[in-house]
Amino acid sequence: MRLTLKIWRQRSGDDVGGFESYELDGAGAEFTLLEALDKLNDTIVAGGGEPVAFDSDCREGVCGSCGVTVDGVPHGPVANTPSCRQHLRSFPDGGTVTLEPFRSAAYPVVKDLVVDRSALDRVIEAGGFVSIDAGTAPDADSHQASHETVEAALDFAACIGCGACVAACPNGSANLFTGSKLVHLSLLPTTQEERGKRAGAMIGAMEEEFGPCSVYGECVQVCPAGIPLAAIAGLNKEKLRAVLRGKDN
Amino acid sequence: MSAVFDSAAINIDALRDIGGIIDGGAPAGDPAGAWADRKLHYKLVSPLNRRKFDVIVVGTGLAGAACAAALGELGYNVHAFTFHDAPRRAHSVAAQGGINAARGRKVDNDSLARFVKDTVKGGDFRAREADCWRLAEESVRVIDHMEAVGAPFAREYGGQLATRSFGGVQVSRTYYTRGQTGQQLQVAASQALLRQVAAGTVTLHTRSEMLDLIVADGRAQGIAVRDLTTGDIWAQTGHAVVLATGGYGNVFFKSTLAKNSNVTAAFRAHKRGALFASPSFIQFHPTALPLSSEWQSKTILMSESLRNDGRIWVPSAPGETRPANDIPEAERDYYLERRYPAFGNLTPRDVASRAARDEIDAGRGVGPLKNGVYLDFRDSLARLGRKVIEERYGNLFEMYTDATGENPLEVPMRIAPGAHFSMGGLWTDYDAMASIPGLFVGGEAGWAYHGANRLGANSLLSACVDGWFTLPYAVPNFLAPLLGQQALPADHPAVVGTVAEARAVVDALAASSGTQGPDRFHRRLGEILYTHCGVSRTAEGLSEGIRLIRELRAEFRTDLRVAGSPDGFNQELERAGRVADFLDLAELMCIDALDREESCGAHFRLEHQLSDGEAARDDANWSFVSAWQHGARPTRHNEPLHFDSVLPETRNYKSS
Amino acid sequence: MAVTGLIFAAFVLVHMIGNLKVYQGAEHFNAYAVWLRTLLEPLFPYEGVLWALRIVLIVCLVGHVGGAAMLVARARRARGPFRRRRLPMRSFLARTMPVTGVVLLLFVIFHLLDLTTGTRPAASASFEHGTVDTSHAYENLIASFQRPEVALFYILAMVVLGMHLAHGLWTATHDLGATSHRLRAIAVAVSGILAIAIMLGNISIPVAVLLGVVQ
Repeated sequence: MRLTLKIWRQRSGDDVGGFESYELDGAGAEFTLLEALDKLNDTIVAGGGEPVAFDSDCREGVCGSCGVTVDGVPHGPVANTPSCRQHLRSFPDGGTVTLEPFRSAAYPVVKDLVVDRSALDRVIEAGGFVSIDAGTAPDADSHQASHETVEAALDFAACIGCGACVAACPNGSANLFTGSKLVHLSLLPTTQEERGKRAGAMIGAMEEEFGPCSVYGECVQVCPAGIPLAAIAGLNKEKLRAVLRGKDN
Repeated sequence: MSAVFDSAAINIDALRDIGGIIDGGAPAGDPAGAWADRKLHYKLVSPLNRRKFDVIVVGTGLAGAACAAALGELGYNVHAFTFHDAPRRAHSVAAQGGINAARGRKVDNDSLARFVKDTVKGGDFRAREADCWRLAEESVRVIDHMEAVGAPFAREYGGQLATRSFGGVQVSRTYYTRGQTGQQLQVAASQALLRQVAAGTVTLHTRSEMLDLIVADGRAQGIAVRDLTTGDIWAQTGHAVVLATGGYGNVFFKSTLAKNSNVTAAFRAHKRGALFASPSFIQFHPTALPLSSEWQSKTILMSESLRNDGRIWVPSAPGETRPANDIPEAERDYYLERRYPAFGNLTPRDVASRAARDEIDAGRGVGPLKNGVYLDFRDSLARLGRKVIEERYGNLFEMYTDATGENPLEVPMRIAPGAHFSMGGLWTDYDAMASIPGLFVGGEAGWAYHGANRLGANSLLSACVDGWFTLPYAVPNFLAPLLGQQALPADHPAVVGTVAEARAVVDALAASSGTQGPDRFHRRLGEILYTHCGVSRTAEGLSEGIRLIRELRAEFRTDLRVAGSPDGFNQELERAGRVADFLDLAELMCIDALDREESCGAHFRLEHQLSDGEAARDDANWSFVSAWQHGARPTRHNEPLHFDSVLPETRNYKSS
Repeated sequence: MAVTGLIFAAFVLVHMIGNLKVYQGAEHFNAYAVWLRTLLEPLFPYEGVLWALRIVLIVCLVGHVGGAAMLVARARRARGPFRRRRLPMRSFLARTMPVTGVVLLLFVIFHLLDLTTGTRPAASASFEHGTVDTSHAYENLIASFQRPEVALFYILAMVVLGMHLAHGLWTATHDLGATSHRLRAIAVAVSGILAIAIMLGNISIPVAVLLGVVQ
């Protein structure tokens, strides 16, 4: 099939950037979006140009490296699917596809479609961990956890950290991301002792760099891990719980 | 038989020199007690002195993040490096099936000894036995720790940890979190790492790629690093360097690995003198997706756990054209169950991959390109019901449907062997230290534990054991005598020289003004290796492979084009450097495969097979680890292997 | 914003129920208006409770509008120069919250001028203030709604209120941390039903006046 790709080109973070159009010929409907970019880059390099920079790694939808905005939608037209698993079959043959980086003030552009998402890690760094040193953990068979609770924890722990939720949010909010972490860690038997402290610290760090949530629900439409909107309620629950209890746990 | 294959083979003596015997340094005596004995003899660093030591950890996967976090928790001053934008992206994240542990809680007769037996036997007696005992012993608390720091391991309805059986073993010792075990472990480990970053013990450098190892006074004392955003090349010095940079399966281009996984850090350490063990030992994963187009960027991995409930078959008749569901039971060949009745669909990966290859080569392959075999859930759906199957494999099925447009609940999956895990890697002694003092290796970057074939769910385990438990004991033992010594100053000749050399390599690559980007060479390299150094090998094929790799390398030198400038973010430049190392590694792999005149584990030489087509291992002549030294011609050193607790036997998955 | 919003939601619900007394005739409706002012006398002075409620509402209004302004400012800063465009219909209510909010604020001002302070031209020409023990609320209401353009404005404002309420209540559900499946399902239903009930209940009055059902 044949596609016109309108791609955001930006040499560096200081550069202004703008769109350039490319013709992609001979791609198949079974190509992933990123394989189409691979093919385009191969043509660009052979023609003496500079290939389009974009992040990607595992190409299975689990590492969270990839992420481009496709026709205004983070990751692409198929809901809950990362860029590496978006296929060309979603686009009409002969059509035009616009590719931009993830857009958010918290994600400065590094080059072309590559952005810096380290703000997400700063939220984790603030408290998204369990303070148990290597070797000091209790026997995991000595405590019990219900099948159901662990499965629920996994629903939220599935977050791949791609940051599309922020790019999808008209407010640039990271509530879904932070909420998924908080809920995940609130449900496990060994993570309770710093539950309150964790909520305060992570939400504080989040609010420094990201926008507020007004429950647009756009985030859950793009989330490749299918994190539910309940993560946002979970974040507020953890916050209220921490404020009302005023304790570390 | 060999005469048939040897006609066009290069004489191996023209390709390599033979060096001497090297010592793995495991404590003498009962390997079961080796780790306890060694820990007792390790030197210690007192808590107040720990912050005086700088330890460099390269890679933030399971082994790297864990090692950096654990050393940080102990109080060392750690510098962690990853070429990713975030530590959590390391490819450990993609492991699906689970993590083994020899906890032996069930009454299915599992134990430490059985774990060791399975691992050593699974590795076809090409691993160091004492290493495997350590792996078994530390596996117990790996589960405790990873659960404690946030990995939500599956639980039974009674609330206890759930386990399942996994490729290659008959007991249930694999702990899991749905089909995302690697992800959950990796996320937990990177969170633990970020905890130490917040605590100030670890300095994390993201988008920073190690380009070279700084060796001074015969010790590894630092690394040269390229800041991938600015292009700046600089040096980090320290008292010890830990490489946890993952495996090199991506040398095959189309592999189950992430696109950026590479051998550069390990290979440049090799060029600085570190021995490289068993480079040809590459595992082909039997449950990867078959290729469907030239531009397909990888062979997507489907977890091996699928083999627990899926039955593998091909049509009995070659050239079968009917859809899978129309083929009657009598015309289906469940070839694994037929050939290996005791293990059936759960035979180890190498056996399953080779068997699939045999069927495909015999014309019984399925799918549009006839390059796969069926993995069928029909019977287990009937037995267990849709709900159970979906709960176990839902996300894998989704991934499969997404990639192929087919629903495994309705039609059988198609699978094919894909390059996956590298058992080979930098050679290390029992203390996880490479042949350069002060250079430690953890996880898949090293060679330890897995011999010639890795058992399913042992890779997450080996990375976790190395990172959380082996290295935090072993590294301080090395540091202790260095108390009072400063890390190398920035103006030390070794530092300045190594940085200058790394810069020269980058500048030379950046100045390449041919016509083809690095990916084109990489794709061709992968094809050469799949054909000549793949699931089965011959002297003739390997020789041809070496010739083709050399031709490709020559073309790479003259016709490579690296677009863009070295002074900034430049992915073409990153790839070019990695492909250059892959080209050198590929040749070493072929030489190693040609050199090793036996079949063992994943290394299957057609010249060396038993009458029934099984691998003919040659313990009399090849019961050693090949550890290669870099040079104009590589030199092969030997570490002899001794087995005291698990006596060598021919692997037999036909009966138990 | 969740707390102030819920107070408003409770207020508009009670207000709507009070409004429906218009169907019981002038006597009941006016008596209700007098009752509101004399509520809990003599424990509280005349209009004491009313003013207490008014003060609560004013504080809520300041908080709600202030919160909204801060939210919009933070959102704009966090989003950066590249706005999300061409959003799908599913987020229509969320997207229009600032607009519906401003419309409601303007409506509240008009509504107070029309039927509380009786300030013309918002109020009808025949507006008449009540005394300590009488009220003309019923007559004032009928007179106001007999102006078709005012009635239409009231109707549109109630549609806007319904929209604002529906999303506001759903948002408050999240702000208050309702994570369980059942609770969230109930919240969805309650948000929708409440918003529609308040909207339709209020809209029925100007419609009834215009149709001459209520005179």
